[in-house]
Amino acid sequence: MFLLAKVGIGIMGTVVAGGAMLCSEGFMHVKVHEKQADGTNFSIVLPAALVPMTLKFVPNRKLADASAKLRPYMPVVDAAIPALEDCPDGVLVEVTDPGEHVLIAKRGGSIVVDVNDGNDVVHVAVPLRAAHSAIREIAAANDTEAF
Amino acid sequence: MRIIKTALPLLVVFLTGTMVMGASSDRYLHIRVSNPGQNEQVRVNVPLAFAEKVIPAITSGELRNGKVHVGHLSANSVNLKVILDALKTAPEGEFVTVQENDSDVRVAKEHGQLIVHVVDKGSKDKENVDVTIPWDVALALSSDTDGDQINVEAAIKALENAGDVTLVSVTSQAETVRIWIDSSSTAEHTSMLKK
Repeated sequence: MFLLAKVGIGIMGTVVAGGAMLCSEGFMHVKVHEKQADGTNFSIVLPAALVPMTLKFVPNRKLADASAKLRPYMPVVDAAIPALEDCPDGVLVEVTDPGEHVLIAKRGGSIVVDVNDGNDVVHVAVPLRAAHSAIREIAAANDTEAF
Repeated sequence: MRIIKTALPLLVVFLTGTMVMGASSDRYLHIRVSNPGQNEQVRVNVPLAFAEKVIPAITSGELRNGKVHVGHLSANSVNLKVILDALKTAPEGEFVTVQENDSDVRVAKEHGQLIVHVVDKGSKDKENVDVTIPWDVALALSSDTDGDQINVEAAIKALENAGDVTLVSVTSQAETVRIWIDSSSTAEHTSMLKK
């Protein structure tokens, strides 16, 4: 009986630790609302740590093209994202025209993009740390793939 | 009781000082472009600390390591730093005034700032351009360069110490552009309307 309890505690502890690790980089939130009558509406909240983890399982040949395009910009990314993390929250860019409203802001450690146009309302929030990890993962995709 | 009465004012002073020191001293570069005729508006708010860290990392075109290559100034015997140093010690007043049929240009030194005012009479929209550069920023542009460069990174650092100032203002019939520095994180923005 005690053995079972110990096993149960061990399993619970592992689950809690795993959950904490998954949630350690915050959550990604993607919400799409299509304005037409039969439009799609969905909202997804995912632990952001899943993204770089998942990228590790993507074959490098699938990421080779994106990796090659990203690598020249990595010094800027490596400077920009930590600098953005240190900045206070606020609106970075806002574009308003008759057909569209785009807002890019930093809120609570995440970069938030809101787009409201004639057809859709889209909200995307990505934790900066997870975004940095994911970008680095893509950029580091095997550049010896050709060999 | 006497100890509490003595300590309380000191505690208030200490906490107030901590709050003041901890208050945000972040400086922001704001850009606003408005085109009322087409109901378009663009607002950009960039923390200067962010720009200071990112600019040196950008290698694109003529921008490298925080400096922009601007041509053959040294080959043409133009020493920008010497000119700016001379202008800094010169008394305030107008240095250059040019009036032509299609434009008026005025370059002056006022209140420790370099002022450039251009009226473009020839264009359809009749643009007015005002550029105001604090002297420390102007000198920073020419600091630590080889003569054919302007030091954008140093200028941004100097801007952080400059007061609230409108750097560029462009007004025309079609649109207005304003670039300024202050400590506000937003230059007012409309809230997202979710339909």
